[in-house]
Amino acid sequence: MKKVLIAVFALTLGVVFGLGTGIGFASSSRDYISIVGSSTVYPFATVVAEKFGKITAFKTPKIESTGSGGGHKLFGSGVGVQYPDITNSSRRIKKSELEKAMANGVKEIVEVKIGYDGIVIANSKKGPSFQLTRKDLFLALAKNVPTGDEAGKLTPNPYKTWKEVNALLPDVKIEVLGPPPTSGTRDAFVELAMEGGADEIDWIKALAKTDKKAYQALCQTIREDGAYIEAGENDNLIVQKLSANPAALGIFGFSYLDQNTDKIQGSLVDGVSPTFEAIADGSYPVSRPLYFYVKKVHVQTIPGMKEFLAEFTSEKAWGEEGYLTDKGLIPMPEAERKLFKENVATLKPLSLGDL
Amino acid sequence: MRLLKVSKMQTVMDKGGNGGPPMPLKKMRKELVPRKERATIGQFEVENPRMSCRNVDVYYNHGEKKAINNINLDIGRNEVIAMIGPSGCGKSTFLRCLNRMNDTIDGCRVTGTITIDNKNIYGKDVDVVPLRAQVGMVFQKPNPFPKSIYDNIAYGPKIHGLVQNRDETDGLVEQSLRRAGLWKEVKDRLDQPGTGLSGGQQQRLCIARTIAVNPEVILMDEPCSALDPIATAIIEDLIDELKQDYAIAIVTHSMQQASRVSQRTAYFHLGDLIEVGPTDQIFLNPLHQLTEDYITGRFG
Amino acid sequence: MNKSENMASSAQGRQLRTMDIVNRGLARRYRAERRFKRFGLSAILLSLAFLAVLFISIFANGYTAFQQTFIQLEVFLDPLKIDKEDLGSANYQGLVRESLAKTFPAVKNRADKRKLYGMVSSGASFDLRKFVQKNRHEIGNTIRIWVPADDDVDMLIKGHILRDVPESERRMDDTQIAWVDHFQHQLRIKQEFNMTFFTGGDSREPELAGIWGAVCGSLYTLLVTLCLSFPIGVATAIYLEEFAPTNRWTDVVEVNINNLAAVPSIVFGLLGLAVFLNFFGLPRSAPLVGGLVLTLMTLPTIIIAGRASLKSVPPSIREAALGIGASKTQMVAHHVLPLAMPGMLTGTIIGMAQALGETAPLLMIGMVAFIVDIPGGFTDPATVLPVQIFLWADSPERAFLEKTSAAIMVLLLFLVIMNGLAVVLRKKFERRW
Repeated sequence: MKKVLIAVFALTLGVVFGLGTGIGFASSSRDYISIVGSSTVYPFATVVAEKFGKITAFKTPKIESTGSGGGHKLFGSGVGVQYPDITNSSRRIKKSELEKAMANGVKEIVEVKIGYDGIVIANSKKGPSFQLTRKDLFLALAKNVPTGDEAGKLTPNPYKTWKEVNALLPDVKIEVLGPPPTSGTRDAFVELAMEGGADEIDWIKALAKTDKKAYQALCQTIREDGAYIEAGENDNLIVQKLSANPAALGIFGFSYLDQNTDKIQGSLVDGVSPTFEAIADGSYPVSRPLYFYVKKVHVQTIPGMKEFLAEFTSEKAWGEEGYLTDKGLIPMPEAERKLFKENVATLKPLSLGDL
Repeated sequence: MRLLKVSKMQTVMDKGGNGGPPMPLKKMRKELVPRKERATIGQFEVENPRMSCRNVDVYYNHGEKKAINNINLDIGRNEVIAMIGPSGCGKSTFLRCLNRMNDTIDGCRVTGTITIDNKNIYGKDVDVVPLRAQVGMVFQKPNPFPKSIYDNIAYGPKIHGLVQNRDETDGLVEQSLRRAGLWKEVKDRLDQPGTGLSGGQQQRLCIARTIAVNPEVILMDEPCSALDPIATAIIEDLIDELKQDYAIAIVTHSMQQASRVSQRTAYFHLGDLIEVGPTDQIFLNPLHQLTEDYITGRFG
Repeated sequence: MNKSENMASSAQGRQLRTMDIVNRGLARRYRAERRFKRFGLSAILLSLAFLAVLFISIFANGYTAFQQTFIQLEVFLDPLKIDKEDLGSANYQGLVRESLAKTFPAVKNRADKRKLYGMVSSGASFDLRKFVQKNRHEIGNTIRIWVPADDDVDMLIKGHILRDVPESERRMDDTQIAWVDHFQHQLRIKQEFNMTFFTGGDSREPELAGIWGAVCGSLYTLLVTLCLSFPIGVATAIYLEEFAPTNRWTDVVEVNINNLAAVPSIVFGLLGLAVFLNFFGLPRSAPLVGGLVLTLMTLPTIIIAGRASLKSVPPSIREAALGIGASKTQMVAHHVLPLAMPGMLTGTIIGMAQALGETAPLLMIGMVAFIVDIPGGFTDPATVLPVQIFLWADSPERAFLEKTSAAIMVLLLFLVIMNGLAVVLRKKFERRW
């Protein structure tokens, strides 16, 4: 018993000592790249990081999936080894976030767009195929919808089936599985699909100019009467639920459709099917750009930063036949790729005026 | 004051005798000290006492409950003093005052003076650790440590530094077990757990453990209440032997045991020490009504 | 006389009545007992059924992950393309592709070539590099090497991609399946025990992903947790139980400890973020910080278990030690603590098992991360087993489904081992008195 106690005591001392070195470590240096941010960019960033770790002598970067907002918050907290070097984002950095970062000493941030992600509305192959418009999506999912042609008149969403929304749609109960409000996918869906649909109603479009707040409240509030089911951040779970329930539709990223084409089908939106090509050429309406942001000062201090950026922006990674496309990233047009590659090479910082 | 009372009573008895033939027993009974009288009668002092208690009160629950009340009692050298009385009379509480075991009870307070060799054990500068080595204790339920028989005995001497090496320890263990009359039974299995012995053996092991630290006083709190008559007889013989070297205070429920082993007996009743005196006198000729009621089995 | 007879008969009557009443109620009492037993039994059966369903589904999904499909390639180690002085930098991927192209010379179309090259894992080139570095004398020869197949091929071989569904609904089209069949026909496809799963770190390629990195992270984290929470927990329990006076302060401490045991674990994560990362400036994602946070989480469990086992040591042992003149510290150290130790160890192991399964507090301190390199110390970035499971469960690739289940099996195995250890320790050290 005594020996055990002595051993435990020795180990405790060891840990306390380790703690000391840990504190020492934090203030000295870091030999790996630290990346935070969006869970949508995560699958792509991780692939690049892994490749980078294997083909170079540098350590594999560490990537945390914190969500776009959480990533910007950590990224903009300051300069130094305890703060991340890169943050991934499934939307552009907000002006407020950039201002905050600058206030914290992160003066120079390089913006890199890496490609596009399509948001698909899909259902089981066992169910009927849907040909939706963005207006249909708005009317089916908004909390309050306009009635008749009278401007400004709203009622709580009365629609129970898709046929009630649009006579061309199947007579199926409205049941949509989607991400919760914390998700970047949800933000993008609301912005691209719901607002896009609402804009087709003239008076709502006009409202955007006169009363932005009321416009956003109208477009961005999703109904809470059970037709829209928050299925958690796990897109795989939504896919599994869809195969179990052929009547339901699901909202998730394109890569999950790409991996599960044997089980689920993507709905047409505004007449365009969610295919790789359609998202790449911009004809599929519900797609968003993906970004990452780099701290310029860290490029010099953290080993491997330059090489990592070069790997990410190489044609074999983000090009039209690069390995990122295998993982479902929709590449940018060539001109755009060239532009951002140049930005990275010169480390051109973002200014408030760009936003 | 108390002595005065005794002498007064003696006068009363003398008067009753009136110089005539010795008073018949029946008549004497009527002259007993009445029940409501709670002051101690009998000779509580001895010459050259080992321990001596004066005006001892014990309170429980932070003074809410008074457990024993103004006890005066001496414990002589080389004698066995038995404490008897009905349940809850305070005899165990009193016993536990003698080596300050009551200190471990939360909210227990002891007032008055208890001295051992003229030194107050409740004095400010007194350390309970050496005190308990000086005043050993044997408990009601045999409580050997869950260790080997050898370690049970050797533990006390080791912590007090009474032995320096293995040989000394071996010798002391054997000596203690011999004095406790257990050596023959356990000498071949000293490394086996003490808890594996029978109840009587366990209690003798506890006694051996106590005498291994060579105390001056041994306190025994109903040491035989969990044992069968044969084991009890062995322990009683042992007590008889031990009194040559130690002062022994024993609490017992059995009046036969008290009469067999003790030289003096103290009778407690509801926190009061009612009567104390030579054992023969207490059992054959008690002076107090309560003592008489108890030993004749009218209650208790 | 009469009166006494009456009394006797009424007493008898009363007795009879009592028996009658007892008998009348007897059947009902036994019925209630049987009903209660049935309820208890069915509750146990129900929970066992749920457990069985869970285990069966995990096992059914996961057992295939312990096998991995390999493809045999014939690679010509072209001395012109491999610099003997710098073996590491050659274009091994090119060699692998060349070999595939040679096997199927008919493939000319660019898109088809991409598909063809996708048949083997991107890890194949690393395997080839390793081979060449070990056998440099083979340069110039044509060698046969087994490389891991792509996860889609693996899924097809394992039957997770069905051949009989229409081509458009499959991850693999007919040409790809034909290639696989060609390999299979030549006996150049085999399934082998998946060592990578147990020796590799995380990867975005399912066929290269392993749990060793996460296991190491868990070990480091738990080691920190154990070394801090056990001594602190035991010392706290001993102080509170044996030495602390009972007053309002100790009551407050006790209530707070009991409350802490019920605090959601994410709160400890937030605390860790604020104290260890922001205040002390410890590194993010490090097992050291994870261990500290989990220490906070497991401490109440250990303290409560420790106090309970100290309480269960009978007072007679304490009296025996005190009665012989042991000081309070000696009493605790020599007698009470050894007797309470089995209970304390059990509590500690259960606390550790809890810590092993925890993800929420680690989220806040950056241990929910993609980490490929195996952590080699307490300050290296690391993740832990449950986090690895969480990350894989969220990956789009189908093949990660089986990896997830397999990792769950490994985690469950660890938990079973730990709880088994608790039982063994208890049995071994338990003493009777």
